[in-house]
Amino acid sequence: MASKFGLAGGIPERRVRPIWDAIDSRQFKNALKHSASLLAKYPNSPYALALKALILERMGKPEEALSVCLSAKELLYKNDTFLMDDLTLSTLQIVFQRLDHLDLARSCYEYACGKSPNNLELMMGLFNCYVREYSFVKQQQTAIKMYKLVGEERFLLWAVCSIQLQVFCGNGGEKLLLLAEGLLKKHVASHSLHEPEALIVYISVLEQQAKYGDALEILSGKLGSLFVIDVDRLRIQGRLLARAGDYSDAANIFQKILELSPDDWECFLHYLGCLLEDDTNWCNGVPNDPILPSKHMDCKLSHLKEEVFDSRMSDASEFVQKLQAGTSDNTLRCPYLANLEVERRKHLYGKGDDDKLMDALMQYFFRFGHLACFTSDVEVFLEVLTTDKKTEFLEKLKKGSESLSTVPTKVLGQSITILKVQEVVGKMYKLSKSELEGSAVQMVELYCRNLPLSKDLDPQENMHGEELLSMACNVLVQLFWRTRHLGYFIEAIMILEFGLTIRRYVWQYKILLLHLYSLVGALSSAYECYKSLDAKNILMETVSHHILPQMLVSPLWVDLNNLLKDYLKFMDDHFRESADLTFLAYRHRNYSKVIEFVQFKEQLQHSNQYLVARVEAPILHLKQNADNIEEEERVLESLKFGIQFIELSNEIGSKSLTFNEDLQSRPWWTPTSEKNYLLGPFEGISFFPRENMTKEREANVLRVIERKSLLPRMIYLSIRSASALLKENFEVNGSLSDPKISSELKFLLERYAKLLGFSLSDSIEVVLGVSSGVKPSSTIDSDLIDWLNFAVFLNAWNLSSHELAQPDLDGYKAGSWHIVDSLLKKYISEKVRSMDPLICSPWVDLPILVQLVSEPLAWHGLVLQSRVRSSLPSGKRKKKGGPDSTSPPFHAIRESIQSSCGAIEDVMKWLREQINRPEDENLETTLSFLQGKGQNEGPGQVFKIVETFSSSINDTQLGDWISQAVKCWSPVDVARKIVTGKCTVLSEFLQMCESKMKLLQALKQQIAQV
Amino acid sequence: MTTIRRFCCNDLLRFASVNLDHLTETFNMSFYMTYLARWPDYFHVAEGPGNRIMGYIMGKVEGQGESWHGHVTAVTVAPEYRRQQLAKKLMNLLEEISDKIDKAYFVDLFVRASNTPAIKMYEKLGYVIYRRVLRYYSGEEDGLDMRKALSRDVDKKSIIPLKRPITPDELEYD
Repeated sequence: MASKFGLAGGIPERRVRPIWDAIDSRQFKNALKHSASLLAKYPNSPYALALKALILERMGKPEEALSVCLSAKELLYKNDTFLMDDLTLSTLQIVFQRLDHLDLARSCYEYACGKSPNNLELMMGLFNCYVREYSFVKQQQTAIKMYKLVGEERFLLWAVCSIQLQVFCGNGGEKLLLLAEGLLKKHVASHSLHEPEALIVYISVLEQQAKYGDALEILSGKLGSLFVIDVDRLRIQGRLLARAGDYSDAANIFQKILELSPDDWECFLHYLGCLLEDDTNWCNGVPNDPILPSKHMDCKLSHLKEEVFDSRMSDASEFVQKLQAGTSDNTLRCPYLANLEVERRKHLYGKGDDDKLMDALMQYFFRFGHLACFTSDVEVFLEVLTTDKKTEFLEKLKKGSESLSTVPTKVLGQSITILKVQEVVGKMYKLSKSELEGSAVQMVELYCRNLPLSKDLDPQENMHGEELLSMACNVLVQLFWRTRHLGYFIEAIMILEFGLTIRRYVWQYKILLLHLYSLVGALSSAYECYKSLDAKNILMETVSHHILPQMLVSPLWVDLNNLLKDYLKFMDDHFRESADLTFLAYRHRNYSKVIEFVQFKEQLQHSNQYLVARVEAPILHLKQNADNIEEEERVLESLKFGIQFIELSNEIGSKSLTFNEDLQSRPWWTPTSEKNYLLGPFEGISFFPRENMTKEREANVLRVIERKSLLPRMIYLSIRSASALLKENFEVNGSLSDPKISSELKFLLERYAKLLGFSLSDSIEVVLGVSSGVKPSSTIDSDLIDWLNFAVFLNAWNLSSHELAQPDLDGYKAGSWHIVDSLLKKYISEKVRSMDPLICSPWVDLPILVQLVSEPLAWHGLVLQSRVRSSLPSGKRKKKGGPDSTSPPFHAIRESIQSSCGAIEDVMKWLREQINRPEDENLETTLSFLQGKGQNEGPGQVFKIVETFSSSINDTQLGDWISQAVKCWSPVDVARKIVTGKCTVLSEFLQMCESKMKLLQALKQQIAQV
Repeated sequence: MTTIRRFCCNDLLRFASVNLDHLTETFNMSFYMTYLARWPDYFHVAEGPGNRIMGYIMGKVEGQGESWHGHVTAVTVAPEYRRQQLAKKLMNLLEEISDKIDKAYFVDLFVRASNTPAIKMYEKLGYVIYRRVLRYYSGEEDGLDMRKALSRDVDKKSIIPLKRPITPDELEYD
């Protein structure tokens, strides 16, 4: 900023410099002082005012800053003699932008450009304003004006980009591209082009209109020489030819590229695709999903005649041989993998030869079997083999590896590969329990035995054989899946923690541990693992799916709040700065990045996780403040009484979501956050390859959000409704009068019911039926929390409405109280009763219990608070003819408070029992899972290996740092981590319950005074 | 089996397995996007089968006169794809672009003085330690400024090591 000196509005630089210096060094008070003296001398200078506004904004006084900015703007408009300089305008712009008033900044520039129509600098400023507002049409118009003014290539390209943005990110029709093409053509004819980026854009405009021939002509003409690196030009040429359907020429081009860079795998796929006249890769020019590219390498072959197919494949084979022969670089995998792809295509065509494919696989293994990427390289090729052939291949691998290498790291690599292939081909699912145990033992033994190989590595480097522990963990999880024996989980945790003791940087272990800890209920330890991943910035978008879903239903509110806050801040910051970065791309003439940046912003804006966080963050605040109705009302006010969320819910049908999570790092047993195979029965099926569940996930997220975003408004209306009739009607800004409350709440109840799949009257029957025991309690199990929320809001509505007539001993008003009470009591107590002791099981039920207390019970608490508050004679608000405290409604309130107390007490009692168990006892129980009583099977076999190894370490063999690390290994510490992780969750939950209990007790006392 | 191509924004959503490595810094968005907006030719990604990200390199070109040079800001390879000379290929690409397109005099990079494996690798690639920068990393650890001369620097003047260490505020560029 300090660079923006100059004569601004006639003020000499020396007078301004101290202000900028003070701002740059964040001495805002000082800056304000200088600004005051500047304004004393130049009271009517817009620039001096703009500076003052800037300082005020930085000091956190947005309103004052805005008002000063507006005065500056007024001065600018009023007095024509003022210089409309970019410095003043850009300073104003900065402040307006920070105050979220992009429109005001833009109108200043618009005005200035109107006054001085030929000022290029101002026009660039205006263009930038439109970029910030994503006004593509206005951008285009402004750029054209600049182009006309000075005839520079860059402004033409700014206009062309703005046109492309209208087509791809706005409402512009594709016809507009014709306009862009015309502009470029004319310019090229008179001035040619001078930047490779400009050429890329020119070609893309033609390509987008399917004018491949024209594009090719330009590329092969004089302009083509703008590409300094040959391969860059050839890649475009190949793509254009393929799109044009000229497969044979395209194949030749791709062949050329491969000769220049023989390791280019994507290019090989293109080459083969073109050879086989397969247009799968070239349809419409739009990749299926930018984030989840097709792993299966779809292809289309059936249209070729057999002899054509055969001859093309033999051409391909010949070329592959040539590539192999032509390289001396033994790290090049592509020419060898290419063989496999040729065999795979033959398979897909129906002319496959399993033996040849297996031969090719073996060849690949002999060369690259020791590499960590071997298995992921060949995964797709294994898929075409039958189960029997896969087994046969596995056997071949085992035999083949025996005589292969003597270099210890290579031998280890190959052994790991074989174990990994075993996993990928689904072999593990067929092994018996003891074979699986044997396999896990083998992996961990191999790991321990090979530790000496890493003794000379830097502790920060990846160690040899690190993956073995992850693989062993997967086997142990499978053993749990089969046997339901929690010991295998504990064992898996131990093994991974052992690995982390040796090298604490292995993120793969941390992710597995995070999920294991979550599953056993030690969520706070899981969260620690997550934090140790240090997933910051964009990784929050791609990695936090590992922890966020569990946290959303946990009592760890402080941690959850941090998680949501950091994530939302990251996203919102990006949305705020993204346009400025786009402008940077314009300025540096990297036009292709312009479109990319705008599309990327949209990709993030549609993120499903962002949507979830935006709804869950306010709901969390509502949960956190539910025990204090005044606080809750403040939260609701800050949420504009939930109206925006209703709008969100209304629009949800039109939303399309993006899924930016990196799911590849998830364990196979929970491929997405919504799915956990371990909860279901073991069915002996393999989950390689993973299924793509995007569609399913999108529907699910939208359904949840549609429902959840009704909550804030329903809570608000329930609070208001509960106090209706009991106090005078008054309307405060934005809030409603009673009849409106009642009708709106009814409307929302109808919607809520509909989202649960019922009409309002049918849903009422459901909750009534379940609460009275006429319907089985399992009726509402699948959407339990939503149903209970519904019952709570129904009761609140009933308090201000006369519509619901339900004959009952205490009259109908009491009826709906009773429904809520009995449902809450029933489900909470049922859950408490069915909870297993702390240590012994994975926790599936605890999150539900937490939700029952933190949602329906909390909302009901608010209804009670509102009801009691409005019936209390307070200092200011006197009760006016309120009902008699012995009348049925009061009786019902008392009973309801009592009933909620009872439910909470049940939970607290259980929690205290768990928390108060002596730690030693807990540790002992945890460790006892691993101590088989002299048997050689069951959990503990793998753990034994680690125990034996760590008690007999050989310092000289292992080297200093590894043996030191192994000596630190303590299984008791790990057990403690599990226990503490659980207890922390329980303690937080207990605190939540205590707070609710305190509230209910207070309400009880208050109502006794009525 | 490496397709090396320009890095694009969507790669930011797919590089988690590379960046979770504790030695790979995940910068803020404006950092990546500034590099993409200003020096897209210096930001490349290597992709393997199944479109998996194997590693990437980001850098820039800056300086004046004879100190016009390419700079490697970050180069990193996923654990699964190590020991295949991928970093070397990425470095060579950046050197080629600095040399051929931008006609720079040399390429330089900074590395933690304690990061012996990396220093050894850069030395193998022809880089020499040009100077030591005291407490370059968060004011704690020294950094080494390593350089490799390009064809334009015929006399290899740019890589004659400095005799004394310098402090971060003596650095010409950020």
